[in-house]
Amino acid sequence: MSLLTVSGLTKRYSRGGKTLTAADDVSFHVEPGETLALAGPSGSGKSTIARLVLRLIEPDGGRIEFEGGDFLALGGSALRARRARLQMVFQDPLAAFNPRATVARVLDDPLRIHGIASRAERPRRIAALLERVGLAADLAPRAIHEISGGQRQRVAIARAIATKPSLIVLDEAVSALDVSVRGQILDLLLDLQREQRIAYLFISHDLGVVRAIAHRVILLDAGRIAESGDARAVIDTPRSAIGKALVAAAPRLNRNRP
Amino acid sequence: MTALASIRDLSVTYRRDGSEVAALKNITFDVQAGERLAIIGESGSGKSTLALAIAGLLPASVRIEGHIDWFLPSTSGAKAPPLLGRDIGFVFQDPSASLDPVITVGKQIAEVAHTHLGLTWSQSFAKAKQLLERVRLPDPDSALRAYPHQLSGGQKQRVAIAAAIAAGPRLLIADEATSALDTIVQAEIVALIRRLVAEDGMTLLFISHDIALAAKLAERIAVFRHGQLVELGATARIINAPTQTYTRTLLDAHIGLDAEPLLNRGGTRG
Ligand SMILES: Nc1ncnc2c1ncn2[C@@H]1O[C@H](COP(=O)(O)OP(=O)(O)OP(=O)(O)O)[C@@H](O)[C@H]1O
Ligand SMILES: Nc1ncnc2c1ncn2[C@@H]1O[C@H](COP(=O)(O)OP(=O)(O)OP(=O)(O)O)[C@@H](O)[C@H]1O
Ligand SMILES: [Mg+2]
Ligand SMILES: [Mg+2]
Repeated sequence: MSLLTVSGLTKRYSRGGKTLTAADDVSFHVEPGETLALAGPSGSGKSTIARLVLRLIEPDGGRIEFEGGDFLALGGSALRARRARLQMVFQDPLAAFNPRATVARVLDDPLRIHGIASRAERPRRIAALLERVGLAADLAPRAIHEISGGQRQRVAIARAIATKPSLIVLDEAVSALDVSVRGQILDLLLDLQREQRIAYLFISHDLGVVRAIAHRVILLDAGRIAESGDARAVIDTPRSAIGKALVAAAPRLNRNRP
Repeated sequence: MTALASIRDLSVTYRRDGSEVAALKNITFDVQAGERLAIIGESGSGKSTLALAIAGLLPASVRIEGHIDWFLPSTSGAKAPPLLGRDIGFVFQDPSASLDPVITVGKQIAEVAHTHLGLTWSQSFAKAKQLLERVRLPDPDSALRAYPHQLSGGQKQRVAIAAAIAAGPRLLIADEATSALDTIVQAEIVALIRRLVAEDGMTLLFISHDIALAAKLAERIAVFRHGQLVELGATARIINAPTQTYTRTLLDAHIGLDAEPLLNRGGTRG
């Protein structure tokens, strides 16, 4: 059984009197321990789908099944409990956290809210989480706005894994990271996937990264699925017009190696 | 080439509750007038701090040593500090840091034109629309009336770029401004930035972790690590003949379309 099954998902927005279909009859599934990438141009609906799957917004149509149950039917404490299994890391870490909260506080919250560790045990767990994502423990008392963008994104990943989720939705989570840290974070994500069979819904416009980390990819265009399949096959030989255009426009590093 | 800004022995130290973070250490280099200069380096190396220092945006609690001398044409030789918005356009790493959530996109861009160019409000809104077209935002008429949360990440970033260039600044500082954009829009923005630099004589300071993109856009590349300037040189020289091991490490870490998939380093599924 699939971990996540999305069928016929549709979301419309109105803006300035016009209606825009941000997600248009979208269907896909994610298996345990799998990375499914959502790629596509800016405005194609990637974040909308992420928010729908996380139930941060409600769809106009369609179904979402998560861990064998109707996810859209959940409410109250059942929804809160299930949310521990479905975590997120966003594009915009400053917007996701209270910038004045400390790193320790950001990691303490999920441990406390989901009753994962006792008060006495939490400082040790926080230190272990920081270490797991490659951050020094002395970052813990710093405010979120007092660390670099890359450090912030690692804190976000530490928070996401705190509740031992089965699925993490990552929306442009590595886009703002420098190449060396990005490589480390991708390695970390893969290690966590191997250890804990976490599945990722991995949203990125960076096709190089998608090709390196995803098992399968869905290319979106104007809210619809334009193409999907094995990540390397799709990116090496895209068939859709949007896939071809995205690949053709990707910057390439031409080095004359000695 | 003449310098637009001379940075001399610049050190920046963040202070908080008795602890200190030395974010920049004795940085010395010139930003040349009309050049496209890229800053690359790992997370926490001080790139954003440098950008904030140049724009005069560091908080008062920060200790700044050394100095930055400006050679702005408008002040006829006098070393007057630049005015943010008019002389310097700044696009932040986080689009939410550039945009006010409760003001429409059109108003935010028009405000820059109104304040710094002395245009009437209706002229300023017309200018805002023109700028949204220039950054290739789809449906600019409806975007003018939208609030930032009604736009996608990449759309917000394009709005931030439009606001940054609204007053025709001498220097555009773009801190990871295109990281959230897809390759098609990214290529368009890169072309736009090139045009702005060429046509309007603007100078560009482009901070990016994407070395391929930096190489495509910049004439010179500066490499930062641990708050220090590791090396600075012409793009082709940095890419093809880096003198520092660290630069080579950065180049090797680039994940291109031809990279070996990380997944292959051990079976994850099944
Ligand atoms: N709250 C909203 N109100 C109105 N329109 C919205 C809202 N949120 C998103 N949209 C629109 O829906 C479309 C899809 O947006 P979405 O954020 O899903 O795109 P995306 O694929 O994540 O793009 P990006 O790569 O730029 O982040 C866009 O055209 C956007 O302007
Ligand atoms: N307001 C602050 N208070 C204290 N320390 C800070 C503050 N802002 C940044 N730092 C620290 O200064 C160093 C440089 O940070 P900076 O944001 O300039 O790095 P960066 O090169 O832009 O990194 P990234 O690629 O992750 O954005 C980091 O160690 C960071 O933790
Ligand atoms: Mg998005
Ligand atoms: Mg930065």
